[in-house]
Amino acid sequence: MLEELYSVAGSAFAIGNLAWILFGVTLGYLVGALPGLGKGTATAVAIPLTFYLEPLSAIAFLVGISKGSTAGSAVSAILLNTPGEPSSTPTAMAGYPLARAGKAQKALKMGLFASVLGDLFSTIVLILVAQELAEYALGIGPVELTAILAFSMVFIAGLSGRSMLKGLIAGLFGILISCMGLEIETGSPRLTFGLIELYDGLPLIPVAIGMLALSEMMIQIGQRQRLADEADLLKGSSKREDQIVTLADWKNCIRPIVRGSLIGTVVGILPGLGASVGSFLSYGAERRASGRGADFEESGAIEGVAAAESADNAVVPASLVPLFAIGIPGSVIAAILIGAFTIQGITPGPLLFLENKDLILGVYVSMLAASVMLLFIGYFGQNMFARIVRISPALIMPIVVFLCCIGAYLQGGGTFGIGVMIVFGIIGFFSKKYDFSFVTFLIGFVIGPSFELSLRQSLGLVTDLPELLDHPVAIVFAVLAVVGVWRLTVLQRKQMAEMAKAETN
Amino acid sequence: MPKSDLYAGIGLMVFGLITLFVLIPTQTSDGGDASISPALLPQICAVCITGLAVLLTMQAAGKLKRGKAAGQAVPKAEWISSVAVIAAVGVAVLLFKYVNPAVAAGLLILGLMLYMGERRIYFLVGIPAFLLIGAWLLFYKVLGTAIG
Repeated sequence: MLEELYSVAGSAFAIGNLAWILFGVTLGYLVGALPGLGKGTATAVAIPLTFYLEPLSAIAFLVGISKGSTAGSAVSAILLNTPGEPSSTPTAMAGYPLARAGKAQKALKMGLFASVLGDLFSTIVLILVAQELAEYALGIGPVELTAILAFSMVFIAGLSGRSMLKGLIAGLFGILISCMGLEIETGSPRLTFGLIELYDGLPLIPVAIGMLALSEMMIQIGQRQRLADEADLLKGSSKREDQIVTLADWKNCIRPIVRGSLIGTVVGILPGLGASVGSFLSYGAERRASGRGADFEESGAIEGVAAAESADNAVVPASLVPLFAIGIPGSVIAAILIGAFTIQGITPGPLLFLENKDLILGVYVSMLAASVMLLFIGYFGQNMFARIVRISPALIMPIVVFLCCIGAYLQGGGTFGIGVMIVFGIIGFFSKKYDFSFVTFLIGFVIGPSFELSLRQSLGLVTDLPELLDHPVAIVFAVLAVVGVWRLTVLQRKQMAEMAKAETN
Repeated sequence: MPKSDLYAGIGLMVFGLITLFVLIPTQTSDGGDASISPALLPQICAVCITGLAVLLTMQAAGKLKRGKAAGQAVPKAEWISSVAVIAAVGVAVLLFKYVNPAVAAGLLILGLMLYMGERRIYFLVGIPAFLLIGAWLLFYKVLGTAIG
């Protein structure tokens, strides 16, 4: 593998490609640092910038943005107690009290180091695992693929929100929406309402921008006063030990970073769990291990920042494992990257390693380069990013809405794309506020065509139920899907009961 | 007490039924010689959505009967802001079509800045101008395409 990576290093380390990675990481860090903006928004809005790039630069740029914004969201979480996205909430819980005690610099630095280490570890796992898994996936037939996709949807629906019912509805709605356009076998229009623009189906990018970015702006603009107020509560410190990461800090944090990286990587590989699950699990494990109880949040804990950030950042590269190996997007970022791959005429999945191996290897090298750049940009740009979080939301949000319109216009065929974005912005607003997982919707929308194709092929292959016995792998995944619905529902009920109990207490 | 899950369940049930009995039959061909009907997957989705919506409605009704909240309330400020954003983008699209792309983009940014409380004149002028010039460079110089 090292030899293969070395062979593509020339194209990955070309000045142009490195410049795009650097630009992506910096832009991502900047957007992530801004309160209320997360990696989904950053990546979705940036896709139009990749239209005229080479495939490697385009993917590397977007991966750089997602890596940068994941790490950058710690800045607003620690300084303003305003996580850019839910996965940074534990960072805010442990880091904001430190900032209020004058140790913001220390918390930011440790957050950055933990982010880079988690990200690097996860990237290495991606490099080692994805190709092996893809070789196995090449042997999978349509019957097995149908069962795997159904299982993935159930898994994602059950774990990406608080209600299995709502998650399944969101996923099915995504698949239903993906049916719009010309039908794959007969080529006849289906659910197009006479609109020629819909013959190719709904364009992914305006849908993603609406669901992720525009809906988020609708919510954040409603919370603008809270965002502005948080910036006024910070305190500075002149003590040097409050501004640097000491050897003692490293001794305390190395274990949570290792644990967090492992948790984040495992969570990332499993489709649908998402960065929030990773960072909360890691944070919870560290909180329990510390034995400090509520003091962990009251006084702040640098170990908590390290645990949450390492896991949060490990999720992003690991979530590309199912995308590269099987073609299943396990996260929002992976779903958006499918759009970017499609623009470049590339289909993610096991054939990627046969048809576009140099590209994938180039992406790997670019991801490693992005991890290193993340460290430098985060470290040397810390003071600048700390100032940026204080920029008024009244200046930032209108710019983001404008960029959303530009992106939807470019990729959606003009004003039709903006119309699609508006519709899905409204749907996204409702799904976020009423807990119908937008992640499951988007993934359902993206895998819908593959699901339909494999379902049709399966129905052609398996005409009688006993013939299904020839496909044991499919049976296993079908059973797992059914068991998943049952177990995850039970688990969610327990969690809801515990939450209700905690609220009563 | 929030009843959003109940309303969502009923709304989705109606949506599922309309999709199943109106949209799919009128908007999907019978498939002719196709081995499998083009309506198959949409029908599966619509049936499942309707079924799950019935369950959601029953679950929400049960919760309300026990005096528990079924869903969550959305703050008024978020409703207002979402309507404002959609209205601003909608008006910008109309201006784009019937007036001028630059006017549409400029007013979209300016309107949202004013709505969010920005009153500093140098920002109100500078940011839309900067973005419009940036968009012009992107479309006309980098991408080599025209807008509008």
